[in-house]
Amino acid sequence: MGKIKLKGKAGAATNYIKRNQALKKLQLSLADFRRICILKGIYPREPKNKKKANKGSTAPTTLYYTKDIQYLAHEPVLKKFREHKSFVKKLNRALGKQQLSIAKSLEKNKPVYTLDHIIKERYPTFTDALRDLDDALCMLFLFATLPSTDKIKSETVANCQRLSLEFQHYVIRSHSLRKVFLSIKGIYYQIEIKGQTITWLVPYQFSQQVPDDVDFRVMLTFLEFYQTFVGFVNFKLYTDMNLVYPPKLDISKDDGAAGLNAIIIEVTNFSLATSQVNDKQLAGGALSLEKSAQKINSEERLKTLPKKLAEIKNKDERAASEITPDSVDNAETEEALMDDFMDQTPVLPTSQEQDVLMQTFTYRDIHSASVALSEFENLFSKCIFYLSREVPRYSLEFIIRAFGGQVGWDATLGVGSPFTESDERITHHIIDRPIIKNQFLARVYVQPQWVYDCINARKLLKTKQYRPGHELPPHMSPFVEHKEGDYEPEMENDFEGMVEETSARSKEQHNQAENDDKDNDADVNEDAPVLDHDSDYVENEADNEDMVYQMELEAEVAGTPFAKYKENKAKQISDGKFHNNSSSKPRAESGKKRTSKEIEEQEIKELAKIMMTKKQKRLYSKMQYGKKKQEEKVLNLKRKREEINQQKKNAVPISVKDGKKRK
Amino acid sequence: MKRQRDKEETSSDEIISDNIDVDTEDISDEDNEGTISSAMSDCETFDQKEAQVQYEIGANGYPRQIWPEIDPIYESDTSTEDPVNTVGNIPMEWYDDYPHIGYDINGKKIMKPATSDELDKFLNNMEDPDSWLSVKDVLSQQNVKLSDEELEIIRRIQMGAFPDPNYDPYEPTIEWFTSKPEVMPLNATPEPKRRFVPSKWEAKRIMKIVRAIRQGRIVLGKTQTPKPRYYSLWTDNDKPREEHIMQIPAPKIKLPEHDESYNPPAEYLPTDKEKEEWEKMDPDDREKNYLPQKYPCLRAVPAYGRFIQDRFNRCLDLYLAPRMRRNKLNIDPESLLPKLPNPKDLQPFPTSITLSYDAHKGRVREFSIDPSGIWLLSGSDDKTIRMWEITTGRCVKTWDMDEIVHSVAWCPNKDICAFAVAISNKVIIISPPAVCDDETTNLTAQYVVSGFNTEKNEKQMKLVEWIKPSTEQGDGFLVIVQHAHNKVIKQITWHRKGDYFATVAPDAGSQGILIHQLSRHQTQQPFRRTKGMVQRVMFHPIKPLFFVATQTFVRIYNLVKQELVKTLQSGVKWISSLDIHSMGDNIIIGSYDKRLCWFDLDLSSRPYKALRFHSKAIRSVAFHKRLPLFASCSDDGTIQIFHGMVYNDLLQNPLIVPVKILKAGHEVVNNLGVLHCEFHPTQPWIISSGADHSLKLWT
Repeated sequence: MGKIKLKGKAGAATNYIKRNQALKKLQLSLADFRRICILKGIYPREPKNKKKANKGSTAPTTLYYTKDIQYLAHEPVLKKFREHKSFVKKLNRALGKQQLSIAKSLEKNKPVYTLDHIIKERYPTFTDALRDLDDALCMLFLFATLPSTDKIKSETVANCQRLSLEFQHYVIRSHSLRKVFLSIKGIYYQIEIKGQTITWLVPYQFSQQVPDDVDFRVMLTFLEFYQTFVGFVNFKLYTDMNLVYPPKLDISKDDGAAGLNAIIIEVTNFSLATSQVNDKQLAGGALSLEKSAQKINSEERLKTLPKKLAEIKNKDERAASEITPDSVDNAETEEALMDDFMDQTPVLPTSQEQDVLMQTFTYRDIHSASVALSEFENLFSKCIFYLSREVPRYSLEFIIRAFGGQVGWDATLGVGSPFTESDERITHHIIDRPIIKNQFLARVYVQPQWVYDCINARKLLKTKQYRPGHELPPHMSPFVEHKEGDYEPEMENDFEGMVEETSARSKEQHNQAENDDKDNDADVNEDAPVLDHDSDYVENEADNEDMVYQMELEAEVAGTPFAKYKENKAKQISDGKFHNNSSSKPRAESGKKRTSKEIEEQEIKELAKIMMTKKQKRLYSKMQYGKKKQEEKVLNLKRKREEINQQKKNAVPISVKDGKKRK
Repeated sequence: MKRQRDKEETSSDEIISDNIDVDTEDISDEDNEGTISSAMSDCETFDQKEAQVQYEIGANGYPRQIWPEIDPIYESDTSTEDPVNTVGNIPMEWYDDYPHIGYDINGKKIMKPATSDELDKFLNNMEDPDSWLSVKDVLSQQNVKLSDEELEIIRRIQMGAFPDPNYDPYEPTIEWFTSKPEVMPLNATPEPKRRFVPSKWEAKRIMKIVRAIRQGRIVLGKTQTPKPRYYSLWTDNDKPREEHIMQIPAPKIKLPEHDESYNPPAEYLPTDKEKEEWEKMDPDDREKNYLPQKYPCLRAVPAYGRFIQDRFNRCLDLYLAPRMRRNKLNIDPESLLPKLPNPKDLQPFPTSITLSYDAHKGRVREFSIDPSGIWLLSGSDDKTIRMWEITTGRCVKTWDMDEIVHSVAWCPNKDICAFAVAISNKVIIISPPAVCDDETTNLTAQYVVSGFNTEKNEKQMKLVEWIKPSTEQGDGFLVIVQHAHNKVIKQITWHRKGDYFATVAPDAGSQGILIHQLSRHQTQQPFRRTKGMVQRVMFHPIKPLFFVATQTFVRIYNLVKQELVKTLQSGVKWISSLDIHSMGDNIIIGSYDKRLCWFDLDLSSRPYKALRFHSKAIRSVAFHKRLPLFASCSDDGTIQIFHGMVYNDLLQNPLIVPVKILKAGHEVVNNLGVLHCEFHPTQPWIISSGADHSLKLWT
């Protein structure tokens, strides 16, 4: 017979500890306990079986993992907390007795704790640290915009500003920005470092109202940790790129609100020296720090490449053959590219199948993906922007520079602009006002959303819709991945064929801009804005008719029977490929009339449900509930879209329509 | 207080020493005793006895006191006449219920003094001019008059002055230890040596520092260069932490969707109704903590008011929210559906409505199909019985009864062309005219009527009466079995041979189940008393077994051995119907609590399968006589057809597959749907009757 097991001596009963017990064990006050929990990243747990963990009671209690608490007991920071407590007592006594010299010496030897070891403990590898960077960045960027109050010290705010600027500089240097999104809450940025995607939110720069119902002690404890954390991360990122950390701050520029420009980035001499040494040592003894870092970097990139490739491919497909002629001037690469794409385009469907089946990639795939990536990273390399005074420089300067662009800005936005408004090199003038007084013909005037949409579309879009004063196309979230059954909003701005031919711009900049402007002028002069829109619309319809005819012809050539062709088409329509008004009719019909086959299937399902066990039935109904909810949401959105389309249709003046019909 | 006592002691000491002085003066003179005593008598503080102290020369040569003997007489003690209460400082109400108020020094009870009544007290107060200066002493329970001194103290306290009139708060201070060094020290102790010798321990501590300085551990005048705040924390060969089940990383923040955009597509914008709903909702219940909004340009976007709160909530979530690993079930819901054979492969079974038999004006409670499968007999609440031709739907004949028809049942014997009808407490055996050929009709009449000749014992006479009906009573009436009890007979069921039939009257107690023999007009009461309310009974199709379904149990009795064979525990609350498979080893029951149970008698006394699929009570269940089909009908207006295959192989469990739901046949009237269903004896057809006054044929 085995040992008798006593109740409450093993398992969940001993694995969990109540908060008050933990406090007693650690001999801490609740405030200190909370602080240490925040710093050490310890959180309460929800046991699988609450009764077993809580002596048969189901009353709501906060339970911690016992080992977490044991692990806290040896924390050096806790010792410092206690020392600080006695230090405060001593100091108060000295001050009360007016023993100022003693107070001074006490103050000098004040116990200070560092959080370095905690960071190393919590994030043993750098990848772990990067994985958890989201919250830290959000917090830092928030506090960088807060006013200093009695609770928030000005040094804290300054440090946050500095750290966030340093981080932004790294992003600019490393071209790691991937997605941006203008939301009502603020601006989301997504970057990719060493295969980890990091997303953070930056509030719009207005003076924040500090609310009363927020406990700033908690926030500041988090911030204290995050400052150290981001500092170390920045150090690692900078040193990996052979930059000096901490970078120097140009105080005069900083005072002039230069923002990003106030920080002076320097390349380490050490790395230069070592690289020289390496060149000399042909046998290649020890790899330099830089090289090893690069190697690791490339290895990691290679590791994440398959995933990336799949993503890129999907995107490619969506955008059909995406040939960004950005790199036309670079003849060699361009040729190689074209070759790649020539090979790739016909193979695409099969290669996608391969993706799904085997996840194998050829060298060509990898190469083309890396080329596409580097192109994306230097999206704005041919563009020179000028920011008008009403646009958010703090965001635009960052993202434009992160994609290789050059920016200048109005003097009211801060000092340090590399060029003035009258500079002839400027290709894009970002403006957020409907009226422009003195237009330069050599540049394109766009609204700021254009920049963000370009990044999310991974290519330069046509600027027509983004002209100042125009109604902007909707700004979509780049983070949404459409799954089957999700609602996919219609893209009013068809991205296909909207590629801006910036390559030509480099030489024929002037002409192009003029042409553009002419177009623009023509647009404006042609008709009243409403009519303009209408003519667009009618054209669109005509285009569609043409397209249908074209498709029919193609089908005929291919030898598909007409019935099959129709079926395919109906399928396409229901898939939402056609966003025309004409598509609404067949869809509605198919929704109403269920085929006998569907009914039969439904019936079989119903019958099978009878034979399910209670548990299965419950689970099934739960799943169906969730599914139904999602479907309802999608239906609601579709219905609204249709209503909007209907309204637009109604708004079309009859005369134009009639004219078209007669024709 | 203590000090006062001390003073007294000292003063008495002085006085004693005085006495000694006095005594020593006259020590030789022994005759002066009188003078001494007289001198002592002047002294107020001393007793007379103490004054009588005698002295003699002790062994050391000094005088020694010799105290007089204490004479325990009345005046011997200094005590007053009143016995001193020794109870101490206690609440005196403890003694309220006792005759005494405490104990004296000897432990004797001190009795309560006689107290005067209120009137006396009042008079005393009036008469006695000093009454206002007397106070009641709690310990002695007597009034004590306050002395002048005491009154003075009270007066001074009232005035807020010091109680003691002699106390001077502004006495000149006497500086015992002053700042001015006196010529003569207060005490003569010499200064200790340690005041002049340097401290050893201090020297040790200093030496420690000196050594540290010499060894370079302490560098004087060194300004601490601050360590670089950040350094390389991570190296390339960091070992990642091992995965542990208890490490739960915080979930990342949900990424924004299209509707969070400052310029979302128009369909994402909430309507006024949605906005109102959102605002009405509790902030915790909201699916998203923002309302989508559209701004014409980036310049128009304001600051988000709840930014700090959102971040704060995230912080709270990070350190306060309990974390648990939840395994998200990532399965296709369709995979949960059991794989069943396609119903198409299990045909034939009834699928659609073909005929409706509408003539009844009341709900059709029960019907019966004749063994040949040509005729259908239905009994209804409109007090009629109708005979229909199944294939054509023609009503062949109608019998008008004087009561509601609860049950009809064809005799299963094909040679006998008759059926039984249950009306209130009567069972009528009717042979329908012009349905069967004359020979059969005659035979039937002979068979049924022959029983009138048999003798009947008394016991049977008590239970039922077999009456020969007159011809006016009804067309084709052969026998009326009038039951002695006046309870309603709810069910008639025939034995397969068509000689015996059983009747069930659930309310009739012990006479609830009766078994009648048609050929001999005999009636038996098989159970002296029944356990529970009998719902249904049935004869086994092959064996001499009798099934009795009460509300929750089905009991199986052997009629030959007259014993209980088995009790089936259904687990349902109220059995409504029962049917037995033609092989006799499987039975199904339907219940009012929506369940259908399949029992395999060889397997267990518990259901082999319990199914719940009807949304309302099951009214009737039926097996097909030939085909592997069974059906149930319910108050929800549907009939559910199952494929129920029973294998001859004992090891193989019966196969149950739902094959069809027959909907949209019967209307639900007053919460009553389909009341009865029965399969056609030969064809894969089912006939059902409902509360909507009709019968339907499904083929």
